Amino acid sequence: MKKQHILRRAAILFVAAVVAPMIAACGGSAATEPQVIRETVVVKETSAPIVETVVVKEEVEVAKDTSFTTPHPILGDVKVRQAIAHCVNRPELIKSVYPFLTDEQQQGLLMDTFLPKSHWAANNTSIVSYPFDPEKGMALLKEAGWEEGFNADGLPLFLKFTTTNAAFRQTWATVLEQQLKDNCGIAISRTHAPGSWWFGDTTGLSRRDFELGAFAWVGQTDPGGISLYACNQIPLPSNNWEGQNYMGWCNETASKAIIAANNTLDKAERVKQYAIVQEEFTKDMVSLPLFNRLEAAAANKNLKNFKPNPTEYYTWNVEEWELAGKDTVVLAFTQEPASLYTLVESAAVATTAAGLLSARGVTSLDYDYQAVGMTKLPSIGDGATNEDVEVKAGDMVWTTSGEAVALAEGVEVTNAAGETVVWDGSSALTMKKLTVSFEMKPGMKWQDGIPVSKADYELGYKVSCDPESGATTFTFCDSVATFTQESDTKQTLVFHPGVQWPTFYTGGFGASPAHQVIESDGPYKGKKLAEVPAKDWPTLPEVAEKPLSTGPYKIVSWEKGQKMVFEANENYYGNAPKIKNLVIQFYEDTNAAVAALLTGNVDVVGTETLGAGAEVETVVKAAEEGKLQVQTLASPTWEHIDFNLFIK
Amino acid sequence: MATFLIRRLIQMVIVLLASAIVSYALLYLAPGGPTTGLRQIQQGGRNSITAEDIARIKARFELDLFLPYRFTRWLAGFPSGPITIGGQTFFADTPAGCAIPGQVRLRYPDGTSEIIEEGCEEYVTFADLADRRTSRGIIFGDFGNSQVILRDRPISVLIESRLPYTLQLMGAALFISILIGVPLGIYSAVRQYSRFDYVMTTVSFVGSSLPTFVIGIICILIFAIAAKEAGLPYLPPGSAVALSDYTVPWIGTVESESTLDRLLHFIMPCGVLVFVNIAGYSRFIRSGMLEVLRLDYVRTARSKGLRERTVVLKHALRNAILPFITLLAGVFAELFGGAAITEAIFNWPGLGRLLVDSIERTDYTVAMSLTMVSIFLLLLGYLITDILYSVLDPRIRLS
Repeated sequence: MKKQHILRRAAILFVAAVVAPMIAACGGSAATEPQVIRETVVVKETSAPIVETVVVKEEVEVAKDTSFTTPHPILGDVKVRQAIAHCVNRPELIKSVYPFLTDEQQQGLLMDTFLPKSHWAANNTSIVSYPFDPEKGMALLKEAGWEEGFNADGLPLFLKFTTTNAAFRQTWATVLEQQLKDNCGIAISRTHAPGSWWFGDTTGLSRRDFELGAFAWVGQTDPGGISLYACNQIPLPSNNWEGQNYMGWCNETASKAIIAANNTLDKAERVKQYAIVQEEFTKDMVSLPLFNRLEAAAANKNLKNFKPNPTEYYTWNVEEWELAGKDTVVLAFTQEPASLYTLVESAAVATTAAGLLSARGVTSLDYDYQAVGMTKLPSIGDGATNEDVEVKAGDMVWTTSGEAVALAEGVEVTNAAGETVVWDGSSALTMKKLTVSFEMKPGMKWQDGIPVSKADYELGYKVSCDPESGATTFTFCDSVATFTQESDTKQTLVFHPGVQWPTFYTGGFGASPAHQVIESDGPYKGKKLAEVPAKDWPTLPEVAEKPLSTGPYKIVSWEKGQKMVFEANENYYGNAPKIKNLVIQFYEDTNAAVAALLTGNVDVVGTETLGAGAEVETVVKAAEEGKLQVQTLASPTWEHIDFNLFIK
Repeated sequence: MATFLIRRLIQMVIVLLASAIVSYALLYLAPGGPTTGLRQIQQGGRNSITAEDIARIKARFELDLFLPYRFTRWLAGFPSGPITIGGQTFFADTPAGCAIPGQVRLRYPDGTSEIIEEGCEEYVTFADLADRRTSRGIIFGDFGNSQVILRDRPISVLIESRLPYTLQLMGAALFISILIGVPLGIYSAVRQYSRFDYVMTTVSFVGSSLPTFVIGIICILIFAIAAKEAGLPYLPPGSAVALSDYTVPWIGTVESESTLDRLLHFIMPCGVLVFVNIAGYSRFIRSGMLEVLRLDYVRTARSKGLRERTVVLKHALRNAILPFITLLAGVFAELFGGAAITEAIFNWPGLGRLLVDSIERTDYTVAMSLTMVSIFLLLLGYLITDILYSVLDPRIRLS
């Protein structure tokens, strides 16, 4: 008994002696810690957005936000960034990943700015270029106060380099590390993180957790770029990391120009503004463009008219393909499409397969657009108007942040002169109102022979813009004020004042077969497609698996995990495809697909399947031996190194 | 026997439930899913993604519900809305999830500020659940919808399309390998250190040490590519059926999708699996038999003057086969689960490949369904093994 007593006492003492001070220490330090002010942020803007959504308590004097305002001690200096650009031998980087290309082909991949050289908005004249020149690099470093790898304060010239663990990035980054060290004495330490971290929602790039960060952007026919280069698009802890300007680059001239470039429909003006952005971009050297990735598509050497293009799916001219002596062409995919309903599924494989089933309105070859099913691309004055209209309180307008709201005091919009204004609630405000008409060529039919009608387009619009449809984004729908299908071929869209889509001419809403009778089992059996609510479309086999075609081919069967079988659509309004049957065969990996191409079991391995890995080398060599035809393209996806101009 | 069965069945349910909770929680923590990559889309254009877009996608795939409700809805389709008892509705306003997370801005005295997610701006209530589609629950055979691979459509469609191929391949491979492996092991044990035994052990050593992908690729090289180039009859390198008719020397033209075509495609993947399985099974049986053959009762049986055949098959084998039965407990799970690597090499459209695909493409509902069925079949296998024990070994009584 006594012993127990002592033990208990000892335990109490122990608690008193050890644990209590610990608790006290914790509590104490918390008490002495300065007050953190908590404010609730308005997340959902239901009516007109209130620009300052944070209610700051009045009695507290709030200091200016200082996170990411301290310039990076090394990269904050433009001379150092320019030096790095001169110290990097980019052709050698390209050679390290694509050794099998000729020098000329390698040169074709080199990027000097954020647009490829062949892009319509590329500035190839007034930009600053950074040829490999270590001496110049060293001189710039010296000017910036860096000698022998240290500055006057004894700070070492050492940078962290972050990117993904993709094999080809490891390859060129190894070469880069060597180059920087040998040529200019810049030491870098490489981190090859998993993509899930580097591109995570709350990690890596999106939190600007890097010094030198390498990744790729996918270039587009329309260069866009506001979210990448405008001053108000810098992700910061204080704006909940909104924006994609990860460098923290704020150059007033460039920022104004990029907004202006996206706020006008005049192509010449856009070219001019983009030229300014590129000039500033290269002058400030905030991000070092490296190269376009390589893309390749390979095919049976007897396949005629196989013309893959960097900005269009390689099946864009499938009806012109010819294959001597065969009536079936076989395409290899390594990923099975999740659905043929392109509203909910936009992976390249799904779009390629679904593309066979639809009559195209436009093609987007070579970073530009061409009318195919449309009689012409509308332009201002010819099928489209862009008039100045006076707007008043309560009118629906398009805000600068890309939302349709009723005009009220405090709403930020772009006025007719292209200036960003916050409406004061009373003064006169004029905005641009865009109206576009699209005219399709006549004679388009569904595969069952029934002509595509006004009702079909109306159904297409209704379903595409139904919030329950399962689509990812409704920004375009929201920007449309009125949709009118005037006839079986003519569609007119009136946008909210302020909407200035630079690519307004690329097309309106597509058609869905309103007359189609549902044959699959379920609650809609026997009804017409038009009667099925939008939320059930993605699960309907008539929509997801065997949609009615208006395109060159129609789908016959889809054996999951194995293949999709297509045959020529006799009701296609364009030229009948020259090859009667088309099969998409699924393979486990690129290697297997290429093996099948070499043995003749497959006729086409497209860009999305071939990728840019080791298999490209295999097909390029096979093509040199005359076994295949291969097209190598500069992909719109381009590698670059971002410099983080600030530290946390 | 009856009490044993009841006890085992209760245990089975508990194990099944526990493993469901654990694997569901693990996949819940894993990154990815239908909202992956949305933030990498360049913002500002016609395809901008707003917070509401993300909330809508999350709602469509139930990602906005709290974990316990998500789990029970997936498991048993409950709750599917507010609970109504005698015309009265309960829990209509009880939150079941969070549609839009709340944000709090923290301002620090040093001037920095940070926005963190905390609390909830807009809840999903039980009443909201009534408007949503609800699966009947996996325990009632409704696997729910795929998130990525077959976006928004039933997983059962995916499984149905793959199951016949897996059953065919795994069933045949297992049957043939038991049929050959067991006698081989017995013979090898009885004739220990004979030339046959040496050859057998060497071959099975090779078979069990080489991974299937190595054997598979070697087979493709020899029987598909080299044979074809040499003008000999060859086997197709992959897939379950050919896309078009082809000619094989000595056999003639093989029509695509004919029985012969299917058979030719079947031989190689099945052969590789059989080879690997035989290697494993025969080694197992051999060592079991060797142990038993040394025992006294076998000697006694021999000295009684029984025929060697009776001694080996009746006295020795029946005792040696017990551990082998345990090995076979996993057969059902294997039948269903397929052989991921072999299926991948031979481009065989089976369930093993589906499981690998679903994990790679972060389609966790599909991965969960396949895992659950496998666990169930594995437990069923163990139950059957236990019953088999009592049949084979009179010493074991189930009670």
